[in-house]
Amino acid sequence: MKRILAAAVTYAALGALAFAFAAPVAMMVAGSLKPDERVLVEAGTAAAFFPAGASLQNYADVFARTEFHRFFFNSLFITGSIVVSGLLVNSLAAYAFARLQWRGRDLCFNLVLAIMILPFETIAVPLFYGISIFGLRDTYTAQILPFIANAFSIVLFYTFFVGLPRELEEAARLDGAGTLRIFFSIIAPNAKPVFASAAILSFLMWWGAYLWPMMVTIGPAKRPLPVAIASFYTLPPLQWGDILAFGVMMVAPVLLVFLIFQRGFVRGVAASAVKG
Amino acid sequence: MHWKNIKSIIRPGFPTRLALLTLLAAMGCGDAPPSSVAPVIEVWAHAGQEEERKTLQDQVSRFNAAHPGGTVRLTLIPEGSYNAQVLAAAVAGDLPDLLEFDGPFLYAYVWQGRLQPLDRLLPKALLDDLLPSIIAQGTYHGRLWSVGTFDSGLGLYADGRQLARADVRLPTLQRPWSRTEFRQVLAQLARDDPDGQVLDLKLNYAGEWYTYAFSPLIQSAGGDLVDRDGDGRAAGVLNRLETVRAMKEIQGWIGGGRVDPNIDDAAFVTGRVALALGGHWNAPQYRDRIGRHLMVLPLPDFGRGPRTGQGSWSWAVTAESAQPEAAARFLAFLLRPEEVLNMTEANNAVPATQTAVARSPLYRPGGPLHLFVAQLERGVAVPRPRTPAYPVITAAFQRAFDRIRSGGSVQGALDRAVRVIDEEIEDNQGYPLIGRARKEAMR
Amino acid sequence: MSRRPGFGNQTPIALLLAGPALAGLFLFYLIPFLTALLLAFTNLRLGSPLPVTFVGLTQFRRIFTDPDFLHAVANTLTFAAAVVPLQTLLALGLALLVNRGLRGTVIFRTLFFMPVVFPMSLVAVVWILIYAPGPGGMMNAGIDLLTGGWWTARDFLRDPLLALPSIMLLSIWQGTGFQMVILLAGLQGIPESLYEAAALDGAGAWQCFRHVTLPQLRRPIAFVMFVTTILAFRLFDQVQIMTRGGPDNATTTVMYETVQAVFARQQVSRASAMTVVFFVLVLGVTWIQRRLSHRGQEAS
Repeated sequence: MKRILAAAVTYAALGALAFAFAAPVAMMVAGSLKPDERVLVEAGTAAAFFPAGASLQNYADVFARTEFHRFFFNSLFITGSIVVSGLLVNSLAAYAFARLQWRGRDLCFNLVLAIMILPFETIAVPLFYGISIFGLRDTYTAQILPFIANAFSIVLFYTFFVGLPRELEEAARLDGAGTLRIFFSIIAPNAKPVFASAAILSFLMWWGAYLWPMMVTIGPAKRPLPVAIASFYTLPPLQWGDILAFGVMMVAPVLLVFLIFQRGFVRGVAASAVKG
Repeated sequence: MHWKNIKSIIRPGFPTRLALLTLLAAMGCGDAPPSSVAPVIEVWAHAGQEEERKTLQDQVSRFNAAHPGGTVRLTLIPEGSYNAQVLAAAVAGDLPDLLEFDGPFLYAYVWQGRLQPLDRLLPKALLDDLLPSIIAQGTYHGRLWSVGTFDSGLGLYADGRQLARADVRLPTLQRPWSRTEFRQVLAQLARDDPDGQVLDLKLNYAGEWYTYAFSPLIQSAGGDLVDRDGDGRAAGVLNRLETVRAMKEIQGWIGGGRVDPNIDDAAFVTGRVALALGGHWNAPQYRDRIGRHLMVLPLPDFGRGPRTGQGSWSWAVTAESAQPEAAARFLAFLLRPEEVLNMTEANNAVPATQTAVARSPLYRPGGPLHLFVAQLERGVAVPRPRTPAYPVITAAFQRAFDRIRSGGSVQGALDRAVRVIDEEIEDNQGYPLIGRARKEAMR
Repeated sequence: MSRRPGFGNQTPIALLLAGPALAGLFLFYLIPFLTALLLAFTNLRLGSPLPVTFVGLTQFRRIFTDPDFLHAVANTLTFAAAVVPLQTLLALGLALLVNRGLRGTVIFRTLFFMPVVFPMSLVAVVWILIYAPGPGGMMNAGIDLLTGGWWTARDFLRDPLLALPSIMLLSIWQGTGFQMVILLAGLQGIPESLYEAAALDGAGAWQCFRHVTLPQLRRPIAFVMFVTTILAFRLFDQVQIMTRGGPDNATTTVMYETVQAVFARQQVSRASAMTVVFFVLVLGVTWIQRRLSHRGQEAS
């Protein structure tokens, strides 16, 4: 009896919290399907969550009023480039720190640890200045290149590599395999979880990045989604249905990936942090 | 490496090539513009409303069709933070041949040596045809640097029926509402209004709107943003008694519950308010809703006669342009009466030339929006301060206004703005004309 | 790092492997950071034709007598001081609830984590709608319903008292799932035997939580708090999109002031000085966190 009561209380608490967490999303999805003028009017009623007479008009409007496909491609290209090249560059560096003997290693590693506490914001101003005087504003380069090497990512990989049993590599090394070969054929396949973690964290960070692209993009050509939604919000006339449709399209693909791989997603995020 | 080439790399086997692509981007190859032999006139403009954009694009096509020798290539940049964006782009010397910017930012571009004078590039007949307000805004250190194809109008829109019901006197430019009269008008209107909010100040716009729309009321009271005749500083001007009183008046309207916050940008069209401070760009929407009942009235007179805002997007030829004549030719094309009218029909702005005004059904004498022209011609309209400090002046004033509209101390807010502005002017040694700017001014 | 007898000289290959990352960190973190330190003592402005001069501590003196910036520092600290404990507590609560292993908890975990995949700029825009003023606004109507009609509608983002808390709320909404997942992993890593032993000793649910769960979660909680603090210090997107620092400086932050200085006013040197202050704040928090966690380790 007591157990049932406890379960009921737990469910009640979970339900209330779940409502609070889901309500904004439900409102966003429902609003994106409504005529623009009804979004604000119905926001304070239960109708906020139920689109009566739903239509996809707002979605069509987004494509008519903005270059959504371009923003989406930009975000995908920029984030994809940072994640993919970041995985390669940072894992290789971490391997060199974890397993190889070389002059300057400890000094460099301490440097990496020191840089890890520098949030991007501490370098935004001088980087903006540099990008401006070198004429790199409004380029993909300015949005990708500075963020490939990442101290946190290196440390993440390092922690994992240090924990791998050495026997794996030593056998291969005695067989005459080179360092790169060992890394790609032995270390990387055994380190899938940490690659997943690093990829997810870096993806979440850059997919949602706003400050830097806001400063360095000029026109819509190289503009990613987070900047695009903010400027769409300020584009007159203010049409909430269109804005919410933009939002849904912006987040839906990521949400879908998250829902499909959610176990791995959640594990990836969690695993990364506990060791950090 | 041009972007199109990258696209062609993507198509076959996208995932496998991503690493290669990244490498390319990393080497900075992804962004270089293609080299071209045909003379191309690079043009940057702000991406305004849809019709405005489309009109400009059509104008470019027409020009290109008529001038096979050189082609205009147009890049549209969003309005949001256009000025900050372009000012920063100028640092790398990456400006196009012909550049559009919001009028009052001209002086910063000139001082930084980014522009060349226009007066020797445009035909005299054309210069003589421009509205005086356009010349006033484009002139700095004795030279004309920029011209617009349209100017702006600021006024009070009113629903004639509601004014009649409240039985208030209709103001004119000769006999505007006085400060106290305006307060009474608001009170009278509020009596018939369910929530008492009868005035829309477009508080939802924020940004440059604050300076554009509210500094005329300060000037009407005898204050100003900075000392225009003297050393250009804000001390003793932006925080003088007249300015403080004007801002207190506005704060009183807001604090007294007379102003609709207009969060949905629809206070006037839904009939929630009888009066709406607004620009020429609001007129079409308002006319669609209330038709012939729409009235355009001057701003209230705070003591020294009514004042209003002016100035809008302007064009200038950049200092680094290798083909200033070609750029000016395109600009002259945009200033032809029929092209000015094409643009002003799209964005509803005041045409920049006398010829075009005379042909505009909206703006010619007797037209429904002629008030805006009259304001520009009779010196009712005041240009925003002509100084390179303008970006800082407007940022500081916007901040002060935000503080004031939230009920903060008026004197305190203005004193703070004064400090920020004067510090900036001092740091820049009062903006001496040196270096490239000096050379350009002598050209 | 452990040292072992090497397999010949590995320096060339190591430099090849670590080179790109080190070059990146050097070029894009170290050099810019040192540049910021240097620029903070000059009068550099973007695009100014005047010569750059060394002005000593002028920029620092200015920002520390600038009421806007002091407001920004205070707001940033307030934001962190409120959000960090609230968000950690909420995340811990969610993790405990989800960890009870009841049927369907995967769905709840998914819901709580979902906002994490939302870009902050999108969250900010959507919450502008949620915070719409007037009794018809979603948040106003919701609070009105919960308080049984005792609530008078407010304009959350334009209310000097409510603006910052409003931004806190949506930040917590977006960020809690992340911390929850980390704490959940921590909870699941606690050996069952510890609870069994505690139960044998006759410990109740509260005592189990107090003496087993909390001590075992010390590291993940410290980590979560640290990360949240840094995130709180970086507060910018929401402010830029929702309030632009207003009303009356109620929501301005160190990062917002910095971006205003460099971007809207081209004051690179002043923004650099603000960056240095920002760095010192972050360094301070890191140091405090290290101290606390070391002390905790010694205690346990």
